[in-house]
Amino acid sequence: METKFTEAYEQPASDTRHETDCDKVAKLLDAVVDGEATAEEQTFFTGHLEDCVPCFESHQKQKLLKGLVSGNLKRILVPERLALAIKTKIQATTV
Amino acid sequence: MSDQTGKQMSKEEKDARFEAELLPVLDPLYNFAYRLTLDEDDANDLVQETYLKAYRFFDYFEQGTNAKAWLFRILKNSFINEFRKKSKQPAKVDYSEVEGYYNSEDVEGESGVATTTDMRTESVQDLIGDEVASALNALPVDFRTVIILCDLEGFTYEEMAKILDIPIGTVRSRLHRARNSLKEKLEKYARTMGYNG
Ligand SMILES: [Zn+2]
Repeated sequence: METKFTEAYEQPASDTRHETDCDKVAKLLDAVVDGEATAEEQTFFTGHLEDCVPCFESHQKQKLLKGLVSGNLKRILVPERLALAIKTKIQATTV
Repeated sequence: MSDQTGKQMSKEEKDARFEAELLPVLDPLYNFAYRLTLDEDDANDLVQETYLKAYRFFDYFEQGTNAKAWLFRILKNSFINEFRKKSKQPAKVDYSEVEGYYNSEDVEGESGVATTTDMRTESVQDLIGDEVASALNALPVDFRTVIILCDLEGFTYEEMAKILDIPIGTVRSRLHRARNSLKEKLEKYARTMGYNG
């Protein structure tokens, strides 16, 4: 009897009924840090973070990760001759 | 001679318009090419090829629309169609084929990246920059691409979908997976440096 009960409980993972608010927040992390969340999603997200420390920390971490790329990755200097090379090729092209 | 001059002018005008609209994108475009190829000569060739293609199709480009996204799209297609084969970079695994909707248990939990925040002197900044670069370069090119487009160039998901010719849902899932990989690599680094989050 007990075995049967357990089996019944372990139903396919595709079942999303048990998705918690924390799961939903985890899926929204990128959209939120990228400014792509809808107003509704944003409200849900912000509301949840007020009571949930782990999700609050995940959000901090995700912001930091994005900041590491946008703020610390050095830009490569364009070779000086490249713009001129392009202009020369363009001007020599007949369409 | 005068009609000849007239014709000449229109080519010149076209060139001037082309240069005014598209050359300002040279810097981000070259950076994108470099991050894809990881080689300065290859980046150079790829960018030149992109501009030549753009010139050939310039009549189809609507003035005042997103020139940057348009050029990025051309460059990415050139890279995929021709460049990838002759590139000096060893072929990396392409995860785009196997990605479905993400089911990630691995997003949260580990700290580590967070430890870098409190050491913001200039040399440390450089060090972090190098480390971010090598972590990023170690990612498969599809992952690298979405992170660059999003975090470095600030494209929206919709623009990214157009540049990459993929649905927005795929942009989202790819970005999510890419950031998880990047996070993993940076955390490993933070640990080897002796910082524990
Ligand atoms: Zn939570």
